[in-house]
Amino acid sequence: MMQVIIFSWEYPPRIVGQLADYVRELAVQLVKNNVETYVVTYHDYLKGQYDESEGVKTYRVANPVRTHIGVLTWVLTLNQEVERAAANIYYNTSKQVNLVDAHDWHFIPAAVTLKKALNIPFVFSVESLEEHRSHGANSPFTMGIKSIEWLGMYEAEKLIVKSEWMRDEVIRLHKVPLEKVKVISPKSVTWMKNVLEAYKSVAGGGISGWLKNWPF
Amino acid sequence: MAKELAVLMLTWEFPPRIIGGISPHVYYLSKSLARNGVKVYVVTCDFPRAPQHEIIDGVEVFRIDSYKNPSPDFATWVYLMNVNMQKEAAALVNSLGGKVDVFHAHDWLVADAGIGLKHVFRKPLLSTIHSTEIGRRNGIHLDYEKMIHETEAWLTYEAWRVICCSDYMVSHVRWAFGLPVDKLVMIPNGVNVEVYNKIENDDLSRFRGKFALPEEKIVLFVGRLVYEKGVHVLVNAVPKVLEKVNAKFIIVGNGYMKERLSSLVKNIGLAHKVLFTGFVDDETLRRLQICADVSVVPSLFEPFGIVALEAMAAKSPVVVSDAGGLSEIVEHDATGVKVYANNPDSLAWGIIKVLLDETYANRIRTNAYKIVQEKYNWNRIAQQTKTIYGCVLNEYSKSTWT
Repeated sequence: MMQVIIFSWEYPPRIVGQLADYVRELAVQLVKNNVETYVVTYHDYLKGQYDESEGVKTYRVANPVRTHIGVLTWVLTLNQEVERAAANIYYNTSKQVNLVDAHDWHFIPAAVTLKKALNIPFVFSVESLEEHRSHGANSPFTMGIKSIEWLGMYEAEKLIVKSEWMRDEVIRLHKVPLEKVKVISPKSVTWMKNVLEAYKSVAGGGISGWLKNWPF
Repeated sequence: MAKELAVLMLTWEFPPRIIGGISPHVYYLSKSLARNGVKVYVVTCDFPRAPQHEIIDGVEVFRIDSYKNPSPDFATWVYLMNVNMQKEAAALVNSLGGKVDVFHAHDWLVADAGIGLKHVFRKPLLSTIHSTEIGRRNGIHLDYEKMIHETEAWLTYEAWRVICCSDYMVSHVRWAFGLPVDKLVMIPNGVNVEVYNKIENDDLSRFRGKFALPEEKIVLFVGRLVYEKGVHVLVNAVPKVLEKVNAKFIIVGNGYMKERLSSLVKNIGLAHKVLFTGFVDDETLRRLQICADVSVVPSLFEPFGIVALEAMAAKSPVVVSDAGGLSEIVEHDATGVKVYANNPDSLAWGIIKVLLDETYANRIRTNAYKIVQEKYNWNRIAQQTKTIYGCVLNEYSKSTWT
């Protein structure tokens, strides 16, 4: 069975934008398609080791540093807890994690360290980009976020974007090679099939048993 | 033969990148550990013209690409730099087949990287706390400071052992972060006497002539020109000293107080008696320390006080404020003179006493040199550190992580 850890900074019940519900739907569908699915997300007080609903194991971490001066410092310290939770999943499952799917820039640093340290490949799923959120501003603050986006695009095995427009923007802004970017529309009837294909193309580690059953 | 113990040091500064005391500390500690049979990897920030990888006396140094875009502020830069440091250290440990036994992080500046590496590789983390935000700022006043303070607390929480360089820092860190006492270890900072012995017999009269007239005594201050180092106390003591002794005050270092202090000195008409040299290279610094008739450390907050030790190794008599780690290094009237902190009259009294009584000055500097050799030598410090690594690894071997 394939094992996937999803990183998302928003996940129900904590909904900030469109990402939370999308990631929830993705996780539930992955479980239905025989993928062992873990979600690592942020929540300030819903803690406990993890909860499980519809087969999705959700780990919620809080920031060990309570006081911050901006989103960047907040995200960068929170990353260590995300990384710790993911490392715990890795060690508690006999190191059988095949890939990480990181949604947007927030937990890219954790995904990159896990790749470098434990050879877990990752997919970078792009919902939105700092360039568009900050309307082209180039302050040191937005540059910090863009540099993390760039790092994620450079280190990821594959980018999943939701539209052709976003594919072109990713290529234009971060000079990503075309063949690295996969357009998968959440509205498409083949959405889950395409996601699974993308996962399969990058998954590392012991997935031979899982591959034998492909396609399901 | 037992398996060689391997440690990976994380530090934001390592020679030739020198900002404060962490750089020489990690340099000498690493070299001495290597001499004591420990395999040492140092992961640190890059520096112009310094190689990405080099081996110094058995110590493997890796310089990472520190974050070079403009940053909103220093702390944000630190966290961004840690992303790269952690990434490159992770790749290094992976390439070594995980053969690193402990991670050793120096101050909050590498907290993120140290904590992350601990969890991804499931190896123990030790940290040395050289200084604290609450001490540097004399309290926590702004969110910016609180964030750093909480990052320091987090690092000490995640560390298996917290090393401090003085008894003062042990109790300070215990108070600041509420740590259990058995988590804290005191291992002093060290000083390398050889670098001074090598040059003490050189003819330094021409060198001295560049800084002071032959009839002027040299009063030396070395440190960052910031409030906590008490350099303003020394400047306030200058006229009081000059009433009794003809002296030249040499102030080495940079900092945000430099402009204010040099214009103050100009305004009271003593610009010819006080020389601000800025940052100087190691060789010049050591020669100055040997030439100094008295070395002054007037800090208000001082976790350890390495400059006092360096002066003692250079056989220069020391006058220090009775504060922090300085109180432990110096024994009043035996190895130096202790004066009241933040008190220019008291400081002037100490300086005058040393400059006017040559027998007294010779006695304290001879005693001081002896103590430095016995207590603060790097070989002894490396052995103590190695012992702590051994204790932690023994506990680790009984933990659920193995």
